Amino acid sequence: MNNTFMQKFIEIAGRIGSQRHLVAVRDGFVAIMPLIIIGSLAVLINNFPAFGSFDMVKILNNIFGEGNWQTLGGSVWNGTFAVIGLLISFTIAYNLAKSYEIDGLSVGLISIASYIILVPETADWGLNFAWLGAQGLFVAIIIALLITELFRLLVKANITIKMPDGVPEGVTRSFAALIPAMIILALVGLFQALISVFVGISMFEVIFNAIQEPLQGLGNTLPAALVVSFLNHLLWFFGLHGTNIIGSVIEPVYLPLIEQNASLFQQGMSAFDVPNVVTKPFLDSFVFMGGSGTTIALLIAIFIVIRREKNHPYREVAKVSAPAGLFNINEPVIFGLPIVLNPIFLIPFILVPVTLTVISYIALSTGLVPKTVAILPWTTPPILSGYLVTGGSARGIILQLINLTVAVVIYIPFIMAGVRAMKEKMGGQ
Amino acid sequence: MKIRLVCSAGMSTSMLVKKMKEAAEAQNVAADIEAVAESQLKNHLDQLDVVLIGPQVRYLEGKIKEKVEPQGVKVAVIDQMAYGMMQGDKVLKQAIELNGEN
Repeated sequence: MNNTFMQKFIEIAGRIGSQRHLVAVRDGFVAIMPLIIIGSLAVLINNFPAFGSFDMVKILNNIFGEGNWQTLGGSVWNGTFAVIGLLISFTIAYNLAKSYEIDGLSVGLISIASYIILVPETADWGLNFAWLGAQGLFVAIIIALLITELFRLLVKANITIKMPDGVPEGVTRSFAALIPAMIILALVGLFQALISVFVGISMFEVIFNAIQEPLQGLGNTLPAALVVSFLNHLLWFFGLHGTNIIGSVIEPVYLPLIEQNASLFQQGMSAFDVPNVVTKPFLDSFVFMGGSGTTIALLIAIFIVIRREKNHPYREVAKVSAPAGLFNINEPVIFGLPIVLNPIFLIPFILVPVTLTVISYIALSTGLVPKTVAILPWTTPPILSGYLVTGGSARGIILQLINLTVAVVIYIPFIMAGVRAMKEKMGGQ
Repeated sequence: MKIRLVCSAGMSTSMLVKKMKEAAEAQNVAADIEAVAESQLKNHLDQLDVVLIGPQVRYLEGKIKEKVEPQGVKVAVIDQMAYGMMQGDKVLKQAIELNGEN
């Protein structure tokens, strides 16, 4: 492989991976992930499928009255998944401010305040939930980044109140933020007034219609899923953390899609009928089994091909990697085998996920397998993840098993080739 | 010797940290080893000797070097094979050798 090309590639990927604003967006999403998973599990429990005669939902409904106990899960949903726009406007601003080493807490609060200023009101003076959640995600990102930059400029220009020595630090800090906050909120308020007088619809609707909806429509297609899958694996082939680097770009597009599925599922729609095929959990559960490259299949393939030579280097790596691999952690096999910059594994490492993306897309879009309705911790082992992510369907497990089989079959010849190449190299010495 | 390992999520690196601690114990090396996220690194600078970077985030090397090298902290990317095979002893050795360079 051409060395200067590789250097260039790593350099560019690295620049993207450490770009301040993209990192803030990515870390902002990472920060709200626990809440999203909790909201998602609340929905799953509310709609848990019956096992034969054991129907938990029915039993609990009999005890507490129809639908009563489900308000618990519904309320948890309202406080988590339903308001991710609001949450993310804080976490992104906070993270960006931290990276500039300015007051993250104040900036985060100003960002939330700005967000609320722009949210359309309901007729009876309530906040409109429709724009607090996933539909408001893009506005949230834009607000968080702009507000933080503005705050930084104002602080840098020294437009703050200085407190005399001896005043407690917390007090000093809140007053230091006072004037920048005032200027920023006045500007946002003015903007909101102008837009509601002259445009007539809120900022949220404008951005949603112009940017977010088209991008989501694109994201929910097979080609987009293939591009995401391909890029992720190309980056990992160069030993770079693919999911990490493209995360800031794909999260804002894919999170609303799963939110829509989960929200309709929560309202009682079946997992077969929810609209979106391609979501992040779709890729995580059906394609990235055992981690990027479906490496759990690679491990299985190694154990199948190399049965006799107990101490073969491949087998050693597979043994070390297997326990973590069950939980979708695969750095050991990626760096140990290695897959990184190893021409033998380039083809299957990219071919497997791309093939599985196609198979899974067909299975879900034709209605053979229910679509994804939950976000799970990414460390949820395959089989369990296939069951839960489809809202408790055995068909999710079957698809995972089919995908694993296909992946193992594709990996086997390449492992044989690798073993042979290794032998020849040894023999030649 | 104070060593910090930097990676993205801290999952696989924390496995390596465990192995390194075992190796340090076996060799009677007094070492304070922990895995941290890149953004947390600045809270660990006190008395820090070595920063080791996970190979999957090796693009952070320049940025981290810029930050900590002026304070005499040694920085390197973890050897890829040793990382993959979770060879705590090898990575510990890398850290010790790095710390010895002056």
